[in-house]
Amino acid sequence: MSNTPNADKGTVLSAPQATEAITQVRRLSDKQPTTLLGRLKENLQFVRGRGSLEISIVMVVLLAGYITASLISPAGFAFLNPNNLSGVISQSIPVLAILGLAAGILMIAGEFDLSLGPAITFNAIVFIKVSEAAGVWVGVLAGILSGVLIALVNGSIVVFTKIPSFIATLGMSFFWAGASIFVNGTSPAILTTSRDATMVFLFAQDFGSFRSQLVWLVIIGVVAWFFLHRHKLGNHMFAVGGNESAAEAISINPKKIKLIAFGIFGGLVGFASILIAVRTSSMQPGGSATQDFTLFAIAAAVVGGTSLNGGRGSVIGIIVGAALIELIRNGLLLGRAPGFYITLFVGVTIVIASIFNKLMEGKAR
Amino acid sequence: MSSALLSIKGVTKKYGPNTVLNDVSFEIGKNEVVGLLGDNGAGKSTLVKIMSGVVEATAGEFFWDGKKVEGINREKTEELGVETIFQDSALVPQMSITRNIFMGREITNKLGLMKIKEMDAITAEVLDSVVTIEGIKSPKQLVASLSGGQAQAVAIARAVHFKRSLLILDEPTSALAVRATEALLEYLRQLKSEGVSSVLVTHNLHHAYQVCDRHIVMNHGRKILDVRKGDTSVEELTAAVVGGAEGIRKYRESKGQKND
Repeated sequence: MSNTPNADKGTVLSAPQATEAITQVRRLSDKQPTTLLGRLKENLQFVRGRGSLEISIVMVVLLAGYITASLISPAGFAFLNPNNLSGVISQSIPVLAILGLAAGILMIAGEFDLSLGPAITFNAIVFIKVSEAAGVWVGVLAGILSGVLIALVNGSIVVFTKIPSFIATLGMSFFWAGASIFVNGTSPAILTTSRDATMVFLFAQDFGSFRSQLVWLVIIGVVAWFFLHRHKLGNHMFAVGGNESAAEAISINPKKIKLIAFGIFGGLVGFASILIAVRTSSMQPGGSATQDFTLFAIAAAVVGGTSLNGGRGSVIGIIVGAALIELIRNGLLLGRAPGFYITLFVGVTIVIASIFNKLMEGKAR
Repeated sequence: MSSALLSIKGVTKKYGPNTVLNDVSFEIGKNEVVGLLGDNGAGKSTLVKIMSGVVEATAGEFFWDGKKVEGINREKTEELGVETIFQDSALVPQMSITRNIFMGREITNKLGLMKIKEMDAITAEVLDSVVTIEGIKSPKQLVASLSGGQAQAVAIARAVHFKRSLLILDEPTSALAVRATEALLEYLRQLKSEGVSSVLVTHNLHHAYQVCDRHIVMNHGRKILDVRKGDTSVEELTAAVVGGAEGIRKYRESKGQKND
């Protein structure tokens, strides 16, 4: 990829233009920031209005409020209690954030998967059964593979029949819920002898101030960031989700990219299923235990600035979105709000975040 | 005889019982601007999709530089250097100018990670030197924040930078202001000197007549007229687009020309 050969000839294609414009040739090249600070400033300017920055500010404000409340009244609002912190930061947030990243990557590519919750049930049961029979390593592989296969089945239906993913995966969500009963029967699948020290260390170990789940979130978050924001395949996902025909015109194959997005989605859901299964040691078939995850995962992505129409979203935004939802849920529990208020407040958060993102979308420059 | 850049022969496209294109043949010469005209439903869009390899023809042959190309698809046309700018959707609005310019042709390291800094620098260079676009602040700017004319110019800059040999513009002027249209037509004229052939698909005859060396008029899936600029007039093209083959006959009769 050489530099443009036209530099020495001046402008090759010149439109009729005002004279003041002619005096400004090379105005963009010369304005490229060279210092680290300059580049940082430019990045900040163009990151504004893309979701993650705004939602991070909201979260910082909320956190500051929680910390203040907890310092004033450690007994009344036990946010800073080590048990609470560990539960929220190391258990709830990582699982929702990984699911949010899964849903978010798929949404960026322009698709949904509403069978996420029932798929967790199915994957977890596969993981439990295989681990019991063949040990944790094979179990992990089977759990992730199950997630990928489920997503690829859903994805193929969506991509090849062109049925809207909302309808196709809504139908498939009932299918996978039923399938989990078909493979397992109605009694819960339980981890017994296979839940040994290795498995706990890998997926649920308490290291004092943090747990294994948080380590996984950091690893997956970093990999996802490089994939989505720096890898060309990630760039193609934004392109396909943002404007499918433009991407196709430039010889990106939208079907292939969408299927890859479904595959990654499935792998991440499979992994989150394992985290959930190891933490609770069992899984109830039928999907009712995990159905909330479907919409919470999409909510985390939306709160974090992911567009429901595709083409827009960020890894940091989604993780912050998941954290925000879990923090609100935790705050309501600590404030002893009755159970049904929790969904009410989460619902309000999602709607406000969407309106906020919609407004910000117009401001993006 | 030097061979044409692109030549299609006997292209037919059927969607179920509907014949959208019926035995269409034409050539696009090197360094030539060809106007592809016709009313809505004449088959222009389908023809564009077939030329760019997005849609497969039911029958017909495709020649590039005199050589027959079998099983034409998007990968092959990409390799040959065909670039299509579809009406107001050539770019992804949610992505930056740099990412749009390098979409599908990213500069990456061995792991496939993009070299953003290098891509930004080249984009700035391209925007400065290939086309003159006023009012762009940075390569990192989102395309959503550009005007229709600026966005078209970015799409054209992309095609020039990657040395495409055939540029197909599908209704590029439909969403543009007068001044931006003027600029775009000027780019097309100058593209020739860069060795880029272009096909301008439009139903605005005046735009086409200003810049095109040759005009092809489609009507109900058939090619009804294929004339050099010197051998026709805006009036005749209008008659062809509005009235089809019958329209051309009536126009020529009224002018006292004999039909051939």
